[in-house]
Amino acid sequence: MKNIYHLVIKDIIRFLNDKPAVILTFVVPMLLIIIFGNVFGGKGSGPRGKTNIILVNNSNSVVADLIESKLDTSKSLRMIKKYLPADSKDSVLFDEESAKEFVRGGKIMAAIVMPKDFFLDTSSALKFKFYYDPKNEIESAIVQGAMQQTIMTQIPKVMPIILKRKAINYIGSDSTARFYRDMTKTVTKYFGVDSDSFMSELTKVDSSSLFNSSADTSAEANFMGNIIQFDNEQLVGKEISNPGLTRSVGGWAMMFLLFSITGAATSLFEEKQEGTLKRLLCMSVSRADILWSKYIYSTMLGVFQLLVLFVFSWAFFDIDIFSNFFNLMIVIIVSAMAAVSFAMIITATTKTASQANGVSMLLILVMSALGGSWFPIQFMPEWMQTGSKATMTYWSVEAFLSVLWRNAPLSSVYTNIVVLLVFTLLLNAYSLVRFRNGRVF
Amino acid sequence: MLKIKNITKSFGSLTALDNISLDIEKGEFFGLLGPNGAGKTTLINTIIGYLEPELGNVSIDGEDITIENTQLRKKIGYVPQEIALYLELTAYQNLKIFGSIFDLKGNELEKKINEVMELVQLTDRKKDKVKDFSGGMKRRINLAVSLLHNPDIILCDEPTVGVDPQSRNAIFEMLHDLNKEGKTILYTTHYMEEAERLCSRLAIIDNGKIIAQGTLVDLINMLEQKETIKIQKTAFTQDKISAISDMGIISEHDFYYELIVNDKYKQHSKTFIRLEEEGIHNEFVQVSRATLEDVFLNLTGRSLRD
Ligand SMILES: Nc1ncnc2c1ncn2[C@@H]1O[C@H](COP(=O)(O)OP(=O)(O)O)[C@@H](O)[C@H]1O
Ligand SMILES: [Mg+2]
Repeated sequence: MKNIYHLVIKDIIRFLNDKPAVILTFVVPMLLIIIFGNVFGGKGSGPRGKTNIILVNNSNSVVADLIESKLDTSKSLRMIKKYLPADSKDSVLFDEESAKEFVRGGKIMAAIVMPKDFFLDTSSALKFKFYYDPKNEIESAIVQGAMQQTIMTQIPKVMPIILKRKAINYIGSDSTARFYRDMTKTVTKYFGVDSDSFMSELTKVDSSSLFNSSADTSAEANFMGNIIQFDNEQLVGKEISNPGLTRSVGGWAMMFLLFSITGAATSLFEEKQEGTLKRLLCMSVSRADILWSKYIYSTMLGVFQLLVLFVFSWAFFDIDIFSNFFNLMIVIIVSAMAAVSFAMIITATTKTASQANGVSMLLILVMSALGGSWFPIQFMPEWMQTGSKATMTYWSVEAFLSVLWRNAPLSSVYTNIVVLLVFTLLLNAYSLVRFRNGRVF
Repeated sequence: MLKIKNITKSFGSLTALDNISLDIEKGEFFGLLGPNGAGKTTLINTIIGYLEPELGNVSIDGEDITIENTQLRKKIGYVPQEIALYLELTAYQNLKIFGSIFDLKGNELEKKINEVMELVQLTDRKKDKVKDFSGGMKRRINLAVSLLHNPDIILCDEPTVGVDPQSRNAIFEMLHDLNKEGKTILYTTHYMEEAERLCSRLAIIDNGKIIAQGTLVDLINMLEQKETIKIQKTAFTQDKISAISDMGIISEHDFYYELIVNDKYKQHSKTFIRLEEEGIHNEFVQVSRATLEDVFLNLTGRSLRD
């Protein structure tokens, strides 16, 4: 026991004196977190950069104007509506053709066009045209996302109109009128809403009222809107200040955990090479002492590393680690244990430090890519996602995501924890057999 | 005190140690002389319990050393052939780490560290990283670590490899003093001069076998000729040496040839006359006392350095 304690202290002193290891363990992942934190926004970032896109509004519809005004105030997009033709001094408004020309020429990433028939009196859908250059596919997807977000927030106001038009299209105006009457009766009966105002809200087709009703003061006038907004909140769950980073911090942390712990465990090779291992063994130290000390030290290092990275993300990017801290700690400890078992099996199955480094580098990169450290596995084809589940990274990253994002109770990451423990157990069992056979030292 | 009995150890088809027995008495300075690859380190590894031999056993004061028996090893101070230190750490940190594993702590540990640093004359470099030390200084720290726990037996595995003459002498004197204080020392080397200078008794090992053992005088006395002829290597003598191959066994060294004459040339005068005849002038010829090198040559037909 005393030996193990001294050996762990020895490893800690060695680690603290090994600058490259300290940098790889803490500084590099912190830099990545800073980069990701800023890409996705958060407390530590400056003013957000806006993406320019062209907006052409050819529709007379009030809905189109409403959406245009919303897009104008978007935090992530800047709407460009005019351009300066080569042969003229005065800038002119974009039309659909000139907008397409700009996108084609690579002068702008994308253009949104709301055509004449964007939202006709009889339309039951909004009709956008979106032009983009395929080389900017990813950026376009982001722009579309931002646009959808802007439009979705306006949907509650447009929705009743669309619904109503759909209803009329389907069942004819008479039946529709009857339906509204029955509906109003029912709602009045069960929810105690004033039947007249509800009826008028339901049957209001006049889209010019949109701007007025957007004043969020009248609960009644916003009845439909409230229903939909309610759903909206369900989807998001708790308030997340930096969703992008919250999603990726666990993944990055797990990858660097694997790197640093493999480094810690394979220091056995260095010690064998340098002869210090032999020196220890001919003191009163046993091989079991050395193995135990490596396990304990590596696990401690892993837990500490993860903790530092999460606290760092909390301090600088508002990642909420404390509302579910206990569960986060459990996931941290289990992940560290799994990573140590990975490191030990590498140590037990390779012969030299450089062999161990090569093999572990390859495996860690594959595990990280496949397991969702770099991007959500939902981006992968089905068969690949099946492969993801064979990596410990996947189970760990998912567990981090659950406790950070959904504030999940322990029971919901129970499976992840069990799977990680099974990984740990199997890998450790195999390396112990190898160590016992004296293949390593 | 240290008994090595019928030790046999092989690596695959290679028999690194072939039925080795040695008996080292308390207070002895025992030398193990042999060329590279003879099996010296392998033997030390079995003594410290790092390797388990297929046959035979090692005991200290009658108690067997095994891989499990870690307590007995505290009687041994092992100085590895390689610099077995944490190079990124300071000399002091190294001593502290190894000292704590020897169960030393607090003031006792500090006192012991100061003592051994004094002994290896590196007190002023205590706070420097080992990797910045010269080869000789590393060697001395390597030795200092092994002395922390005040062991009865010191096993030195070629402690002077890659060491400047000054450090080498410092190491010799330190070991000599330790031996005078009553420590038993087992010293391996492939330098016959070291063995001659330091050891009260020695064994010669070659290809995993002990081929001779005894005091220096015993070993020299094994030779029929206690003297050898040394011919300085010069531009003139170099071409003529093949002409005298019939005079005895000739071995080539960096700066001289050594000739162990056969019976016909027992008398020095005859030797000198023949050499003169062959054009090797007496200015280049010298009669020396036989050395362990000669003993090795005589026993194996090879030079120690081959
Ligand atoms: N771990 C090992 N595996 C295989 N062969 C070894 C091993 N250790 C030593 N040997 C071989 O055993 C012989 C003796 O080596 P060693 O004891 O190191 O010699 P010395 O220390 O006298 O120079 C050499 O031929 C060496 O190559
Ligand atoms: Mg050796």
